[in-house]
Amino acid sequence: MTAEDADLTIARFIDAPPAAVWQAWSRPEHLARWWIPAPIECRVVTLDLRPGGGFVTKMREDDGPFKPHLDACFLEVVPERRLAFTTALSAGWRPAEPWLLLTAIVTLEPERRGTRYAARVLHKSPADARRHETLGFHDGWGTVIDQLAALAPRLG
Amino acid sequence: MVTFHTSLDAAFHALADPTRRAVISRLMARPASVKELAAPFAMGLPAFLKHLRVLEESGLIATEKTGRVRTCRVEIEQLAEAESWLGEQRALWQGRTDRLAAYVETRMARDDTHDG
Repeated sequence: MTAEDADLTIARFIDAPPAAVWQAWSRPEHLARWWIPAPIECRVVTLDLRPGGGFVTKMREDDGPFKPHLDACFLEVVPERRLAFTTALSAGWRPAEPWLLLTAIVTLEPERRGTRYAARVLHKSPADARRHETLGFHDGWGTVIDQLAALAPRLG
Repeated sequence: MVTFHTSLDAAFHALADPTRRAVISRLMARPASVKELAAPFAMGLPAFLKHLRVLEESGLIATEKTGRVRTCRVEIEQLAEAESWLGEQRALWQGRTDRLAAYVETRMARDDTHDG
Protein backbone atom coordinates (compact mmCIF):
# COMPACT_ATOMS: atom_id res chain seq x y z
CA MET A 1 0.00 0.00 0.00
CA THR A 2 1.12 3.53 -0.65
CA ALA A 3 0.25 6.91 0.82
CA GLU A 4 -2.12 7.51 -2.05
CA ASP A 5 -4.34 4.68 -0.91
CA ALA A 6 -6.36 7.14 1.10
CA ASP A 7 -7.25 8.86 -2.17
CA LEU A 8 -9.15 7.56 -5.13
CA THR A 9 -8.82 9.04 -8.55
CA ILE A 10 -11.32 8.22 -11.24
CA ALA A 11 -10.83 9.72 -14.67
CA ARG A 12 -12.37 9.20 -18.07
CA PHE A 13 -13.02 10.86 -21.37
CA ILE A 14 -16.54 12.16 -21.98
CA ASP A 15 -17.53 12.73 -25.56
CA ALA A 16 -19.13 16.12 -24.95
CA PRO A 17 -17.66 19.55 -24.27
CA PRO A 18 -17.03 20.76 -20.68
CA ALA A 19 -20.06 23.06 -20.97
CA ALA A 20 -22.37 20.05 -21.37
CA VAL A 21 -20.73 18.11 -18.53
CA TRP A 22 -20.98 21.16 -16.35
CA GLN A 23 -24.68 21.37 -17.11
CA ALA A 24 -25.18 17.76 -16.07
CA TRP A 25 -23.43 18.55 -12.80
CA SER A 26 -24.84 21.97 -12.03
CA ARG A 27 -28.53 21.63 -12.79
CA PRO A 28 -30.52 19.74 -10.17
CA GLU A 29 -32.80 18.05 -12.69
CA HIS A 30 -29.77 16.62 -14.51
CA LEU A 31 -27.70 15.75 -11.43
CA ALA A 32 -30.59 13.70 -10.03
CA ARG A 33 -30.41 11.49 -13.10
CA TRP A 34 -26.91 10.12 -12.59
CA TRP A 35 -25.77 10.90 -9.04
CA ILE A 36 -27.23 7.73 -7.52
CA PRO A 37 -27.49 4.39 -9.26
CA ALA A 38 -30.98 3.33 -10.32
CA PRO A 39 -33.33 2.07 -9.05
CA ILE A 40 -32.60 4.25 -6.05
CA GLU A 41 -34.26 7.58 -6.64
CA CYS A 42 -32.32 10.79 -6.04
CA ARG A 43 -33.72 14.15 -5.02
CA VAL A 44 -31.47 17.18 -5.20
CA VAL A 45 -32.45 19.34 -2.22
CA THR A 46 -29.67 21.95 -2.40
CA LEU A 47 -27.12 22.60 -5.10
CA ASP A 48 -25.80 26.00 -4.16
CA LEU A 49 -22.81 26.33 -6.45
CA ARG A 50 -20.54 28.74 -4.62
CA PRO A 51 -17.88 28.34 -1.94
CA GLY A 52 -19.75 27.71 1.30
CA GLY A 53 -22.88 26.73 -0.58
CA GLY A 54 -24.76 23.62 0.49
CA PHE A 55 -24.88 20.39 -1.46
CA VAL A 56 -27.70 18.21 -0.18
CA THR A 57 -29.18 15.15 -1.86
CA LYS A 58 -31.73 12.64 -0.61
CA MET A 59 -32.59 9.19 -1.79
CA ARG A 60 -35.39 6.67 -1.63
CA GLU A 61 -36.00 3.10 -2.60
CA ASP A 62 -39.24 1.49 -3.73
CA ASP A 63 -41.34 4.61 -3.33
CA GLY A 64 -40.43 4.77 0.38
CA PRO A 65 -39.69 8.00 2.21
CA PHE A 66 -36.75 10.12 1.11
CA LYS A 67 -33.78 9.56 3.43
CA PRO A 68 -30.68 11.63 4.09
CA HIS A 69 -28.01 10.93 1.55
CA LEU A 70 -25.40 13.62 1.17
CA ASP A 71 -24.98 16.78 3.22
CA ALA A 72 -21.89 18.61 2.05
CA CYS A 73 -20.48 22.05 1.40
CA PHE A 74 -18.84 23.37 -1.74
CA LEU A 75 -15.30 24.63 -1.24
CA GLU A 76 -14.51 25.77 -4.73
CA VAL A 77 -16.60 26.32 -7.82
CA VAL A 78 -15.06 27.27 -11.16
CA PRO A 79 -17.72 26.87 -13.85
CA GLU A 80 -16.86 24.32 -16.51
CA ARG A 81 -13.49 23.64 -14.87
CA ARG A 82 -13.47 22.58 -11.27
CA LEU A 83 -15.62 21.70 -8.28
CA ALA A 84 -14.58 20.78 -4.76
CA PHE A 85 -16.83 19.83 -1.88
CA THR A 86 -16.46 18.19 1.50
CA THR A 87 -18.65 16.25 3.88
CA ALA A 88 -16.67 17.76 6.77
CA LEU A 89 -18.84 20.85 6.47
CA SER A 90 -22.44 21.54 5.62
CA ALA A 91 -23.90 24.71 4.12
CA GLY A 92 -22.32 27.96 5.27
CA TRP A 93 -19.11 26.28 6.42
CA ARG A 94 -20.93 24.75 9.42
CA PRO A 95 -18.86 21.90 10.86
CA ALA A 96 -20.48 18.52 10.28
CA GLU A 97 -19.98 15.07 11.68
CA PRO A 98 -20.37 12.89 8.66
CA TRP A 99 -20.51 9.14 8.67
CA LEU A 100 -17.78 9.21 6.15
CA LEU A 101 -15.39 12.10 5.98
CA LEU A 102 -14.23 12.97 2.50
CA THR A 103 -13.34 15.76 0.17
CA ALA A 104 -13.99 15.39 -3.54
CA ILE A 105 -12.28 17.41 -6.25
CA VAL A 106 -13.83 17.22 -9.68
CA THR A 107 -12.02 18.61 -12.69
CA LEU A 108 -13.08 19.09 -16.30
CA GLU A 109 -10.38 19.59 -18.92
CA PRO A 110 -11.15 20.20 -22.59
CA GLU A 111 -9.73 17.32 -24.63
CA ARG A 112 -10.15 17.01 -28.37
CA ARG A 113 -13.86 17.71 -28.88
CA GLY A 114 -14.77 16.37 -25.46
CA THR A 115 -13.85 16.49 -21.80
CA ARG A 116 -11.31 14.75 -19.61
CA TYR A 117 -13.36 14.27 -16.46
CA ALA A 118 -11.66 13.38 -13.18
CA ALA A 119 -12.85 12.92 -9.63
CA ARG A 120 -10.29 12.77 -6.87
CA VAL A 121 -11.73 11.62 -3.56
CA LEU A 122 -9.69 12.22 -0.42
CA HIS A 123 -10.40 10.12 2.66
CA LYS A 124 -9.18 10.32 6.20
CA SER A 125 -10.08 6.84 7.41
CA PRO A 126 -13.26 5.11 8.44
CA ALA A 127 -12.48 5.86 12.06
CA ASP A 128 -15.96 7.21 12.67
CA ALA A 129 -17.54 3.83 12.16
CA ARG A 130 -17.97 3.07 15.83
CA ARG A 131 -19.44 6.46 16.51
CA HIS A 132 -21.80 5.73 13.69
CA GLU A 133 -22.93 2.65 15.56
CA THR A 134 -23.48 4.44 18.84
CA LEU A 135 -25.56 7.01 17.03
CA GLY A 136 -27.87 4.14 16.20
CA PHE A 137 -27.88 4.46 12.47
CA HIS A 138 -28.06 0.74 11.98
CA ASP A 139 -29.10 -2.46 13.68
CA GLY A 140 -26.81 -5.03 12.21
CA TRP A 141 -24.91 -6.29 9.29
CA GLY A 142 -27.86 -6.24 6.93
CA THR A 143 -28.44 -2.58 7.58
CA VAL A 144 -24.77 -1.80 7.38
CA ILE A 145 -24.56 -3.28 3.95
CA ASP A 146 -27.77 -1.61 2.87
CA GLN A 147 -26.41 1.66 4.14
CA LEU A 148 -23.15 1.19 2.39
CA ALA A 149 -24.97 0.52 -0.84
CA ALA A 150 -27.28 3.39 -0.16
CA LEU A 151 -24.68 5.72 1.25
CA ALA A 152 -22.70 4.89 -1.70
CA PRO A 153 -23.59 7.87 -3.45
CA ARG A 154 -23.11 9.80 -0.28
CA LEU A 155 -19.53 9.26 -0.91
CA GLY A 156 -20.09 11.99 -3.16
CA MET B 1 -19.88 -5.85 12.69
CA VAL B 2 -18.02 -4.37 15.61
CA THR B 3 -15.07 -6.54 14.76
CA PHE B 4 -15.19 -5.48 11.16
CA HIS B 5 -15.28 -1.77 11.92
CA THR B 6 -12.74 -2.03 14.70
CA SER B 7 -10.29 -3.94 12.57
CA LEU B 8 -10.78 -1.57 9.66
CA ASP B 9 -10.17 1.40 11.96
CA ALA B 10 -7.01 -0.22 13.29
CA ALA B 11 -5.81 -1.13 9.82
CA PHE B 12 -6.23 2.38 8.46
CA HIS B 13 -4.65 3.85 11.56
CA ALA B 14 -1.68 1.54 11.12
CA LEU B 15 -1.41 2.43 7.43
CA ALA B 16 -1.53 6.15 8.16
CA ASP B 17 2.21 6.19 8.92
CA PRO B 18 4.96 6.07 6.25
CA THR B 19 7.31 3.89 8.31
CA ARG B 20 4.59 1.34 8.85
CA ARG B 21 3.60 1.39 5.20
CA ALA B 22 7.23 0.83 4.28
CA VAL B 23 7.36 -2.18 6.59
CA ILE B 24 4.22 -3.61 4.97
CA SER B 25 5.66 -3.06 1.47
CA ARG B 26 8.86 -4.74 2.50
CA LEU B 27 7.04 -7.70 4.00
CA MET B 28 4.96 -8.18 0.87
CA ALA B 29 8.05 -9.67 -0.73
CA ARG B 30 8.71 -12.17 2.04
CA PRO B 31 8.79 -12.49 5.84
CA ALA B 32 11.73 -10.79 7.57
CA SER B 33 13.33 -10.53 10.98
CA VAL B 34 12.88 -7.44 13.15
CA LYS B 35 16.57 -6.65 12.80
CA GLU B 36 16.40 -6.88 9.02
CA LEU B 37 13.27 -4.70 8.92
CA ALA B 38 14.69 -2.04 11.21
CA ALA B 39 17.94 -1.65 9.28
CA PRO B 40 16.79 0.86 6.63
CA PHE B 41 15.21 3.22 9.17
CA ALA B 42 17.04 6.07 10.86
CA MET B 43 15.45 5.53 14.22
CA GLY B 44 16.26 3.73 17.41
CA LEU B 45 15.09 0.17 17.90
CA PRO B 46 12.60 1.10 20.65
CA ALA B 47 10.86 3.57 18.30
CA PHE B 48 10.83 1.00 15.53
CA LEU B 49 9.39 -1.64 17.85
CA LYS B 50 6.53 0.72 18.66
CA HIS B 51 5.65 0.82 14.97
CA LEU B 52 5.79 -2.96 14.80
CA ARG B 53 3.49 -3.19 17.80
CA VAL B 54 0.90 -0.93 16.13
CA LEU B 55 1.08 -3.10 13.02
CA GLU B 56 0.73 -6.26 15.03
CA GLU B 57 -2.21 -4.92 17.04
CA SER B 58 -3.93 -3.91 13.83
CA GLY B 59 -3.64 -7.49 12.66
CA LEU B 60 -1.80 -6.40 9.51
CA ILE B 61 1.29 -8.34 10.51
CA ALA B 62 1.99 -11.33 12.72
CA THR B 63 5.28 -12.06 14.46
CA GLU B 64 6.76 -15.31 15.61
CA LYS B 65 9.81 -15.89 17.74
CA THR B 66 12.14 -18.74 16.97
CA GLY B 67 15.10 -18.88 19.32
CA ARG B 68 16.39 -15.30 19.50
CA VAL B 69 15.00 -14.20 16.16
CA ARG B 70 11.56 -12.59 15.80
CA THR B 71 10.17 -12.98 12.31
CA CYS B 72 7.40 -10.78 10.90
CA ARG B 73 4.99 -11.56 8.10
CA VAL B 74 2.04 -9.79 6.50
CA GLU B 75 -1.49 -10.99 7.30
CA ILE B 76 -2.87 -10.83 3.79
CA GLU B 77 -6.53 -11.21 4.80
CA GLN B 78 -6.43 -8.19 7.05
CA LEU B 79 -4.73 -6.12 4.40
CA ALA B 80 -7.29 -7.29 1.84
CA GLU B 81 -10.09 -6.02 4.07
CA ALA B 82 -8.68 -2.50 4.10
CA GLU B 83 -8.11 -2.72 0.38
CA SER B 84 -11.64 -3.92 -0.32
CA TRP B 85 -13.08 -0.95 1.59
CA LEU B 86 -11.17 1.37 -0.71
CA GLY B 87 -12.19 -0.77 -3.66
CA GLU B 88 -15.86 -0.24 -2.81
CA GLN B 89 -15.39 3.51 -2.73
CA ARG B 90 -13.58 3.35 -6.04
CA ALA B 91 -16.39 1.32 -7.61
CA LEU B 92 -18.97 3.86 -6.47
CA TRP B 93 -17.13 6.78 -8.00
CA GLN B 94 -16.33 4.85 -11.13
CA GLY B 95 -20.01 3.98 -11.50
CA ARG B 96 -21.04 7.57 -10.95
CA THR B 97 -18.53 8.85 -13.46
CA ASP B 98 -19.69 6.28 -16.03
CA ARG B 99 -23.33 7.26 -15.48
CA LEU B 100 -22.45 10.93 -15.89
CA ALA B 101 -20.66 10.18 -19.16
CA ALA B 102 -23.54 8.08 -20.47
CA TYR B 103 -26.03 10.76 -19.45
CA VAL B 104 -24.14 13.62 -21.04
CA GLU B 105 -23.34 11.72 -24.20
CA THR B 106 -26.80 10.36 -24.89
CA ARG B 107 -29.72 11.62 -22.86
CA MET B 108 -28.70 15.24 -22.56
CA ALA B 109 -28.01 15.44 -26.25
CA ARG B 110 -31.52 14.12 -26.84
CA ASP B 111 -33.05 16.53 -24.29
CA ASP B 112 -31.33 19.44 -25.95
CA THR B 113 -32.78 18.42 -29.27
CA HIS B 114 -36.26 18.40 -27.74
CA ASP B 115 -35.69 21.72 -26.01
CA GLY B 116 -34.32 23.41 -29.00
